[in-house]
Amino acid sequence: MSKSRLTEELEHRGISRREFIVFCAAMAAVLGLPEEATPAIAAAVETEEKPILIWLEFQDCAGNTESLLRAGHPTVADLILDSISLSYHETLMAAAGSQAEDVLAKTVREHKGKYIALVEGSIPTGADGGYCTIGGRAALDIAREICGNAAATIAVGTCAAFGGIPAARPNPTGALSVADAVPGVRNLINMSACPANAENITALIVYYMTLKRWPPLDQYRRPMFAYGKTIHDNCERRAHFDAGQYVEAWGDEAHRQGHCLYKMGCKGPATSQNCPVVRWNEGTNWPIGCGHPCVGCAEPNFWDTMSPFYERLPNVAGFNVGSWIDPVGLGLTGLVAAAAALHGVGEIVRHRVGLGPVSEDGSET
Amino acid sequence: MSTLSHSGDRDGGLERIYVWELPVRLSHWLIAVSIVVLSVTGYYIGHPFINVPGAARDHFVMGTVRAVHLYAAWIFTAALIVRIYWWFAGNAYARWTDFIPVSARRFRSLWNSMLFYSFIRRDPDDYPGHNALAAGSYAMIFAVYVLLIVTGLVLHASEVPPGSPFHVFGALAPWFFGLPMARLIHHVAMWVVLIFVVVHLHFVLLASLIERVGTFESIFSGYKFFPRKKPR
Ligand code: SF4
Repeated sequence: MSKSRLTEELEHRGISRREFIVFCAAMAAVLGLPEEATPAIAAAVETEEKPILIWLEFQDCAGNTESLLRAGHPTVADLILDSISLSYHETLMAAAGSQAEDVLAKTVREHKGKYIALVEGSIPTGADGGYCTIGGRAALDIAREICGNAAATIAVGTCAAFGGIPAARPNPTGALSVADAVPGVRNLINMSACPANAENITALIVYYMTLKRWPPLDQYRRPMFAYGKTIHDNCERRAHFDAGQYVEAWGDEAHRQGHCLYKMGCKGPATSQNCPVVRWNEGTNWPIGCGHPCVGCAEPNFWDTMSPFYERLPNVAGFNVGSWIDPVGLGLTGLVAAAAALHGVGEIVRHRVGLGPVSEDGSET
Repeated sequence: MSTLSHSGDRDGGLERIYVWELPVRLSHWLIAVSIVVLSVTGYYIGHPFINVPGAARDHFVMGTVRAVHLYAAWIFTAALIVRIYWWFAGNAYARWTDFIPVSARRFRSLWNSMLFYSFIRRDPDDYPGHNALAAGSYAMIFAVYVLLIVTGLVLHASEVPPGSPFHVFGALAPWFFGLPMARLIHHVAMWVVLIFVVVHLHFVLLASLIERVGTFESIFSGYKFFPRKKPR
């Protein structure tokens, strides 16, 4: 068998065969596949025709791009996404200006209906789309054309998946998610989180290359392999949660002991993601691992629904209700109970001293 | 001497009326006890006020409290289902028509009760079942119960293992603007129920004191005692 382009690239970059197999095994693990899947993945990644990827950036912070690059040494994952199949990515590509746009137009023309569009950032609709234009075209226009002609669209990050921070109240730019901006888009997959985990994005592409289909999705069109369980279910601090051991203040003894961050507002119980398993920066650590509560960044409208990040209960548009609802409820119940008791005692006394209810004929009893 | 409390002596004794059938009494007490258990455990789940020392492996405080909360929630739900079934299968006092005032008679009762409770009318409604005002408040509190159960199920859906049928309730999360808001609604609804419990207890004891028909005892025995109607 002649050497595939990938094998050549790997050799060229000094990545050993062993490292490549380790990568394939890691992908199998992320996807929840058995160990035997590793050779199949390796074969598919090595020999199959690579899908053409177009990466669009709209109203975003390039955080997902950063996440993907994971500054430092290039990995096999970068190689697969970047060198082999990424046809267009404004931030990463060498070409710029009209040259870059030509590449995009050419890719769309030649691979119509076959390429995969990855969208990063929300799509603003305010000011006639004037809040985000590329080469003079509104983001909405570009998204409709590119995603509309793609075999599949992957919304990378919470902004593209659900609108994210730009769409948070009061949403000044009229930002929309891909699903809302391009209605009826084919094979949309939401890879939410702020930013999305590069491990999961790579695993998604590898899944597609190996099995020629897209993975099962949850109710928000997120792949079950990455969003099938809550943070809380796989959290390393869960034993402390169940035992009843909580951090009460930053830096207290419980915090130093690595106890549960529930009382510090952790949204792990309400957030579906595989962070505790896959972690970040090549498995180095993750937010809860280093003592910060989960803010629920993978959930729809997290900026509005999950805040305040350090409280257990949310606010209702302007009212700081979350933090005071329970003390107020307790106080009100106590007040009503006291009033009732007082009234009751009053009634008993009234009856004892003969001021009871009046009979039908009007005479007092 | 009160005609209401002692007229029976004069007019040939008291009439014993079977008002609350067994399913009504049983569901009432299951709901009452589970409300207490759910409120205490729920408060702890929202504000874990116990500081558990030592190694995590030796304790299961939150785990236990959550399990109790969950089982109590099932008992509560089952009891409510029984009670709502009895809205259609029970006697006249248990039926839905006694809770939601749709007839002229019930409207009159509602009006009379409002006058009575605002100290305008001095004699209470002498209907053996609920007066229409009380019954209306029970219907509303039933709606709050349903809200509690639904928000509870939405929160529960996020923690059941994959493949559990309870996952379907996760689809309702957007109705409540996400899980945190569902949790807040769950809290507010609990306080509404607790305030209702206090007011309910107060009125029951007060009615027992004033009306002397055995209102308080009736939820144990099922019977109320009314003076035999004198011919008018
Ligand atoms: S730190 Fe957060 S996710 Fe982890 S166990 Fe505690 S509440 Fe759950």
